[in-house]
Amino acid sequence: MKLVELGLYFALLSLVSVGGLPSVMPEMQRFVVDLKGWLTPGEFIQAFAVGQAAPGPNVLIASLIGWKVGGLAGAFVALGAMCFPAAVIAWWVSDLWDRFKDSPWRLAVQRAIAPIVVAMILSGGVVLATPGRPDWRLWLIAGATAAATLASKLNPLWFLAAGGVLGAVLL
Amino acid sequence: MNVAPPKSLVDLFTGFLMIGARSFGGVLPWAYRTLVEERRWMTHADFTETIGLCQFLPGPNIGNASIVLGKRWFGLRGAIVAFLGLMALPFVWVLALYVFYSDFSSEPRVAAVVTGVGTAGAGLFIGTAIKLGRPLAKKPFAVVLIAACFLCVAVARFPLLLVVPVCLALALAAARWNRL
Repeated sequence: MKLVELGLYFALLSLVSVGGLPSVMPEMQRFVVDLKGWLTPGEFIQAFAVGQAAPGPNVLIASLIGWKVGGLAGAFVALGAMCFPAAVIAWWVSDLWDRFKDSPWRLAVQRAIAPIVVAMILSGGVVLATPGRPDWRLWLIAGATAAATLASKLNPLWFLAAGGVLGAVLL
Repeated sequence: MNVAPPKSLVDLFTGFLMIGARSFGGVLPWAYRTLVEERRWMTHADFTETIGLCQFLPGPNIGNASIVLGKRWFGLRGAIVAFLGLMALPFVWVLALYVFYSDFSSEPRVAAVVTGVGTAGAGLFIGTAIKLGRPLAKKPFAVVLIAACFLCVAVARFPLLLVVPVCLALALAAARWNRL
């Protein structure tokens, strides 16, 4: 039953995940940690960390949450649910997108979604950096990383490693 | 530059497998290297246009790109093959890494390091949002919309399934009236 619930909810989230997985991280946390209690706040951020450090699309973080909830079957259900509805939309829209190349609506849609993508990715970052009560040490790590990515073009893995070192020192 | 679509489904599969296999620290640069530079399946402009579309669609950007490109070249079979190629290896690796990590997660030092890595990952999102948001800073309505959407999601913790449709409707209206 847990897996059905997880699958249906993630499938719904898939439909609103404009900007990719970062956008729906706050909602995933709200659902699996606050509402359902399937993961603790600490487990959630650690699953996220492993998913970020491993190679591959970051949607795989969903499969780690699924793994925590229901083992291998949970991992497949969570990943499939996050990807399939969005894939159907991508399949369908890619034709329309070409057909409406010069339509004012296409431009309007593009301009309308941009600020929402920004707000959702920003929210994802802030919520993840605030797993429990606000903690200045976590905000320092997140803020320093954000500043570093804006200032340099190094592979983000270096920033993740630096975050790990800061974590060992501060936490 | 001469570009030609992948010759077969196997070709398509291995191409996306190579993207997934090497994508430490982010998929996008490896997708570019594989699709445009190594396999020469598409041009730079085509790549940019496709990724641009996929960033606006819900779902994982590169996952969507695998669907769109697989479909373009081989129809439904292509979409499935490209998606599976992209996900196969990272899926195994992320689970293996997590299982390996779980053995040590009760160790407080290890948990501290991993929490640090995760929080840095959160910082990457914030950095990305700022990069994407910079061109919007000149548009007052966009700034208000970003702030409102952020307050609803991150501070008030309203359900996303409510916030996104409402904000999207407002944004579409604004874009149609040339305020965005």
